[in-house]
This record gives sequence, structure tokens and C-alpha cells, in this order.
Amino acid sequence: MKNKKLLWHGRFTPWLFLLPTIIGLIVFRIVPIVWAFVLSFSQWSLLGSPKFIGITNYIEAFNTDTFIQTLFNTVEFSIYYVIGSIFFGLLLAVLINVKLKSIAFFRAIIYLPVVTSAVAVGIVWNWILGPNIGLLHTILESLNIPTAYWLGDPKIALRTVAFVQVWKMAGYSMILFLAGLQGISAQTIEAAIVDGANSVQRFFKVVLPMLAPSVFFVLTISIIDSFKNFELIYAMTKGGPQNATNTLVYDVYLNAFVYYRVGYAAAVAFVLLIFVGLLTIMNFYIRKNWARPLE
Amino acid sequence: MKKVLITLSVLIFVSLSVFANGQKESAEVKQDENVVLEWWTWDPDLKEKNQEIIAQYESEHPNVTINNTIVSTKEYWTKIRILANQNKLPDVFTMSSSTLEEWAENDLVLELDSFIDSDNTRDVFYSDLLEAVKDVSKTEHYYALPFALVTTTLYYNKDAFDAAGIDYPDDDWSWDEFRDAAKKLTIDKDNDGKIDQYGFWFYGRYAHVESWVYANGGRLINRDTMRFDPDEAALEALNMLSDLVLVDKSAPSQKDMSSIRQQDVFPQQKAAMWIDGSWNIDNNRNVSDPNMNWGIAKVPTGPSTDKGLTYAWTDSYALSPNTEHPQEAWDFAKYVAGEGVDLGMYLAGKIPSFKALTESEAFADPSKLPAEMNVLKEQAASEMRTSFTKGWSEWRGYGAAEALGFNGLIDGVINGEISLDEALVKGEKSINTVLARYYK
Repeated sequence: MKNKKLLWHGRFTPWLFLLPTIIGLIVFRIVPIVWAFVLSFSQWSLLGSPKFIGITNYIEAFNTDTFIQTLFNTVEFSIYYVIGSIFFGLLLAVLINVKLKSIAFFRAIIYLPVVTSAVAVGIVWNWILGPNIGLLHTILESLNIPTAYWLGDPKIALRTVAFVQVWKMAGYSMILFLAGLQGISAQTIEAAIVDGANSVQRFFKVVLPMLAPSVFFVLTISIIDSFKNFELIYAMTKGGPQNATNTLVYDVYLNAFVYYRVGYAAAVAFVLLIFVGLLTIMNFYIRKNWARPLE
Repeated sequence: MKKVLITLSVLIFVSLSVFANGQKESAEVKQDENVVLEWWTWDPDLKEKNQEIIAQYESEHPNVTINNTIVSTKEYWTKIRILANQNKLPDVFTMSSSTLEEWAENDLVLELDSFIDSDNTRDVFYSDLLEAVKDVSKTEHYYALPFALVTTTLYYNKDAFDAAGIDYPDDDWSWDEFRDAAKKLTIDKDNDGKIDQYGFWFYGRYAHVESWVYANGGRLINRDTMRFDPDEAALEALNMLSDLVLVDKSAPSQKDMSSIRQQDVFPQQKAAMWIDGSWNIDNNRNVSDPNMNWGIAKVPTGPSTDKGLTYAWTDSYALSPNTEHPQEAWDFAKYVAGEGVDLGMYLAGKIPSFKALTESEAFADPSKLPAEMNVLKEQAASEMRTSFTKGWSEWRGYGAAEALGFNGLIDGVINGEISLDEALVKGEKSINTVLARYYK
């Protein structure tokens, strides 16, 4: 029989193991978030002490044309990215959900951009999309197809960067969809075939509804991911031309580490946080009410 | 009583003697005590050179130990600002002309007037550059010791000039002559309908635009009101620049050159002329075809002035206001800004503030291009201007914000997206919003 006196610490043991994580969470997440919130009501250039200025930073943000444009850019980028990553992720997953000898190789190739540095991706795509000497420009020109300033035209630059982000991350969505596809039992598909469903009907009436949890998981992940576009914008356009690709996260960086307007940057970061938070709540609400898999 | 007085006198005398002796000893000890100086710089390429300087300095000053920390320029300002916030600034650190005003205003750099006035600094360093540092601090004091001057210069391809039969630019070159030359130098070499060599090239970059504004005696910022208020001479320069692209077609749009590193356009012979910082001499030497013959000249003086201003600014060393060893820190700063360094510490084209280096034969090495290095010395001796203000990187559009601010607006003009008038209206609003934050 065990001696109870020696087990006095029993109820503390789980906390002991949790302690490193809890300390990490408090020190590296909770405290900086709270401190950033406090800073958003201040004026601070890192030199000297922060000066409390109330909600001036928030008022300034919503009264500045460029910030409003940045806000719209962020939403626009997010729409392109979310739709693109779901569409291409699903398309790729369906294409590679086959039993072939070399399929693992193709899966790895498609996944490769996900683990490649965003800055490296940005540099390579800058060259591909560049005017005059760019690869795409050269190919289109040789085929007598009119080309464009993909990154230099304010009307299309944001879509171009969003496309590159989709290209980079579609492999990640693909893996998630692939897991969902492989979870669908072969009997269900066979039953649909026996019932006379053609391949299009099978996909839209059977496979897609059963993938609903995967779709909404990818939707949530993509929405959150769509706001984390700093590296590509830094490497490809630096927010230009004419502020056309400046997004909230890039604006936070510029204000915090280029202009040293730390208080204002914190305010922009909290606008971003509220934005992401609202979308995530909405997403979970939709998932809870409408996105149940077929049983 | 007498005995008591004698005893007291003796005691006082003995105490004073001991105290004085102690003071003397402690002064001797202080002179010999080991002094550790922290030295922060922003150029990782100079790591080995810095160590050589330190080794030499420490051998000459056995009681001084120097610790060098090098942080790349991108991270330098964030890190050093945090140190400033914690009152832990290094004893000696590199300082930019673009930030000195803000640092001086916040008492984060030691005033150096007494040091400069008490030794031979004015004799061994160019006094113009000392005054330039004072000017950018917008005070009546010296807050940094310059180690280099950078200026902007006109780079031109001599081979292209020869092929087009045009005389090389000289000090009397007018803007009309420049425009004519740019047109003649714009060539479609293979007749495929595409320009292979533009006469000139620029975009909204500060060094590309302000050089013309100052060469015409103009200004973008009114220093009395500290607001964006380009005068007639500045407007003339901006109009001339946009006409080069939109009317003369002798310069490309910004987006046409966006897939080439800006500093490589000229050495890759995509343009026959270019104005940028003198430090690009080093890159031109490295990137250009070894057979390409190129030179440098003064930025052509504009029609609104007899004598244009030179766009130039200094890189300097500042001292921490909290340094425990101000004299030793000053001695070391003076050493690394002058007698302790050689030309190898400078990117070709940077002009040392230490007279002996700039006036040495090695500065204008005849075995290397360009042959006109002395042009830089002449520019350094002329009247200088900069557009640095607090909030400069934001309103001007610099570094990670290069596509924004005034830079982005000028790019929009030459890309044909907005007119110059629209850009100036937009610029006045957005730039003055930034300036109003710093200058009430």
C-alpha cells in the first residue's frame, strides 16, 4: 500500500508540468498583448517614456484616407486568398487523391512552397512577374499575348500578391482536404455509383457535403492566414504602388519599426485583432449551425 | 589650551596630508584604471577592419578596452533606440544625419562643443562637415563627429557619350544641354521598337529627386514653417523630371525598371546617365563590364540659380550622454573618425571627414574609375543641403516604406497614374500631416 504522506503533492503535479507553458504563455503572449493594448493609447517613439493620449491613435487611424485604403486592401486580399486557397487546395487534393506509384513525389512537390521562405518566394516571383526581363513577360510576349505590369499597376498589384500567396499556401489546404477526402469511405462512393450518380454528381452531392468540416477548417485557417501577409508584401511591393498593397499587418510593421510610432502601430494591431476576432467568431457560428457533416 | 590647539593643528595637517595624498593616489589609479568602452557600428562588412582598429588602439592605450558590436542597418535603429530607452547607450555609436535632430532634442547624445574647441579637431577634420552636422541637429551645438560625407553625383557612360558624339558633362552643363544629351542617348539599338538604352533614369527616390531640386537652388520643406512647401525652383525641377519620362521619353517609368536593382541600372548600361549617392561608385566598379568607361560629374546647375546647392549629408559618431568616460570616449571617436582608419574603411565614393585621408593620393586612385574623383572633393567644399526632418522616412518614403510617401507619389507621376499637380496636392496633405505631428 502506498504511503499517502509521500503523495501530498499529487494535486499539484499536473500544474507543475503545466507551469513552463503557463509561464511562457503569460510572459510571451498575455503580457505583450495587454501591454500593446495599453500602448495603443499612447504616443511613443521608443525614446523616452510613452505619453498617454487617450484614443487619439484610433481617431487618427479612422480619419486617414491611407488607413481606410489599407483596411479595404486587407479585406480584399483576404477575400482573394481565402477563395483561392480553398479552390486550389480542393482542386489539387482531388487531383492527387489517386493511387499511383509516384503520387507521394507530386504531393511533396505541391507542398514544397509551403515550407519555402516567403521572402525567397517573393524574390523569385518578382523576377517571374517583372516587366521587360520577367519570365512571364517574355513568354506572353513570344506568344503575342498582351502583358501587364503585374506588380507595378495599382489596379492589379494586390491581386497579383494574393495570387502568389495562394500559390505558396495551396499545398497546405491540399493536405487538409486530402485528409478529409481519404476519410470518406469507399462504400459511400460505391453506393452513389450504384444509384447512378455520375462523377460530377458524386463530387457535389456526396463528396463535398461530407467534406464540410474540412472546408470550414480550411476557411478558418485561411482567414487567419490571410492577415499574415507581411513577408510577401515586404519582398514584392513594399506596400506600393500608391499604397495599393499596403495591408494592416504591413502598416503595423511600418509604424512600429520604420516610423517608430509604436503607440499608433499598437492601435492598428488592435484594429487587426478585432477584425480577425470577429471573423473567427462568425466562422465558428457558421460551422456550428450549418457546417455539419452528413451522418 | 595651547596644547589642544597644537594637537588639533597637527591632526588637521596630518588628515589633510593623508587626504591629499589619497586624492593624488586615486587620481593616479583613475588614470591607470582599465576603461571599457562600448562601440556600436552598423556595417557588418567592416568587422575585421574594426578589430584591426581596436587592436591598434588598445596597443596605444593599454588601459582601454574596446568592445565592438555591429548591428546591420535594418536592425540598428530599433536596437539602439531600446538601449537609449533603458539608459544603456554604448559610449560611442554611429549616428545618421536623418535622426540626429530627434536624438539631440531628447538629450540622447552628448554635446561635443567643449571637446571640439579644446583640441585640434577643427584643424584635422573639415570644418564644413562639422557645420553640416550642427545644421542637421537644428541646434547651435555639435552633437556628433562626422567620419564621412556622402553626396549625390551624376554618373555618365563615356562610351555612350562617345558613340553619340556628345561632349562629356562639365561644371557649366545646363539643364537644356542635359535634356538634349538624354534624348540623343536614348537608343533602340536593335530596331525592335524597344528602347535598349535610355538617356537617363530615376524614380521617386530621395537621392534621385532632391539632387535636382537643390541644384536649382530650391527646397521641398520650408525650414521656417517646417511644412512641405516646394518653391518655384523645386517645382521647376519636378516638372523637368516628369517631362523627361512623359514628354521627352528619354527616361523610363519607374515600373519599367522595377525588375532590376536600382543601383544596377546604370552599370548594366540600361541608362547612360544616372544621379545617386557617391557611395555607388563601389557598386559601379563591381557590377559594370570591366571595359565600360564611365565617369562622374557635378549635378547640372538649374536655370533658377547661378550656383546650385549640393545634396550631401554626413555619417557620424555620437557619444552617450551617460558615458562614464567622456574623455576616453571622445578620444576613441576621434581616432575611429580620423587618424585610426584608412580608405579601406570607406566605400569608394564616401568622402572621409579627416582631411589627411581625403587629400591623400589614394583617394583619387588613377588606376580606378571614375577618373573624376576630385569632383567629390569640390562638391564637399560647396554649400550643402539635406531634406532630413523628424518623420523623414515616413513622409519621404524610405526603406521598407519606399513605395509610399513622396517617393510613391513621384513614382505615380512617372508611371502615368497621376499628374504632378495631383501628386503635389496629395503630398501637401499627407506630408504636412506627418510634419505637423513633429513640428507644432
